[in-house]
Amino acid sequence: MSLSSRMVVVLTGVGLLSGGFLASVGILTKDRIALNKKMEIERAIVSVVPGSVAGETLYEEKEFIVYGGKNEAGDLQGFAIYTSGIGFQDKIVLMIGVDASLSRLNGLAVLDQKETPGLGAKITDRPSFLVYWENKDFTRTFSLRKPPAPAPESLSASEVNTITGATISSEAVLSIVNAAREKVRALREEGKLALGGPHAE
Amino acid sequence: MPSRTAGQDFLKGLWQENPIFRQMLGMCPTLAVTNAVINGIAMGLATAFVLIFSSFLISLIKKLIPNQVRIACYVVIIATFVTIADRFLAAFFPPISKSLGPFVPLIVVNCIILGRAEAFASKNSPGRSVIDALGMSAGFIMALLILSSIREVLGSGTFLGYRVLGGWFEPWVIMVLPPGAFITLGILMAISLQLERKKRER
Repeated sequence: MSLSSRMVVVLTGVGLLSGGFLASVGILTKDRIALNKKMEIERAIVSVVPGSVAGETLYEEKEFIVYGGKNEAGDLQGFAIYTSGIGFQDKIVLMIGVDASLSRLNGLAVLDQKETPGLGAKITDRPSFLVYWENKDFTRTFSLRKPPAPAPESLSASEVNTITGATISSEAVLSIVNAAREKVRALREEGKLALGGPHAE
Repeated sequence: MPSRTAGQDFLKGLWQENPIFRQMLGMCPTLAVTNAVINGIAMGLATAFVLIFSSFLISLIKKLIPNQVRIACYVVIIATFVTIADRFLAAFFPPISKSLGPFVPLIVVNCIILGRAEAFASKNSPGRSVIDALGMSAGFIMALLILSSIREVLGSGTFLGYRVLGGWFEPWVIMVLPPGAFITLGILMAISLQLERKKRER
């Protein structure tokens, strides 16, 4: 066999074998990866809607999903809003928990972020950031308090803290929550948020 | 430099030819993922998996591969194992997969792997290649472990997520940021060179 045809044969062979192998690995792990994603979302819903055991999709558009958190009897305990926005370097994906009357923010869960480790990544840390987002007034727009943040209880009901050294990440979370707040209230007025509605699974 | 016995093949990766401190290869993952011990271990194991299997396979088929397309073949083989490692982590260890982010796919261009394929696996028997890969992996994991331990303890006050330094300790945030990686690596490099010099003087 000439050299050039040998090169073609070897490279094609290696490529085909590796492609076939990877296809089977992909098929084997695909379901498991999808399941991990689903479970992560379910866990986040349950964590931000107290009393809920499962979530039901009530409204869905690109990168914005409203889940209804249900208790064992199937009653609505509150809403979990899956939403995202741009952080310091990349997308921040949040799950925002609100009560059923849309008047109180239960808390946030960070599903995905690529903020700077040690600085912006503190948005996933409960004592320095997330605790300030618990049990807040959801009827008004949220604002940030510059550091040093006082104890969580001493901030007003619509005020949250800024992480020292990570103003951009803190502001990103703030604007994601405020945008989601506007959106979900509008949806509520249009009557699109009810269990067993047209968008229910 | 050519080593004779299996023991030498293995041991040279730990010290004499340590991929990080001696060959200065694979700096990108070394600096990027060592902000926490768990990331360092996961990156070390993923790289070891890719290095061992690709060294073995490349050494096995080295006679079939025409010299002109050898690098292309190596890269395809390496990329295959990297993708397997990436999918495996995503399926079974989702939190680790998330914190390593893009660095698992980037093992493809980790110079340690291509370097060993070119410098060792393509010239030696599969058995010796595997031993060489094991030694290099052990050296790489050791270096990542040292680096990430120092950075996590000083930068977060924790080791493997457990608090080891009390509340009095204010974490040196710079240690988990990129400059901390360079500073730590530089100091470790200086120490290892000093040790080597002492050894030679004796």
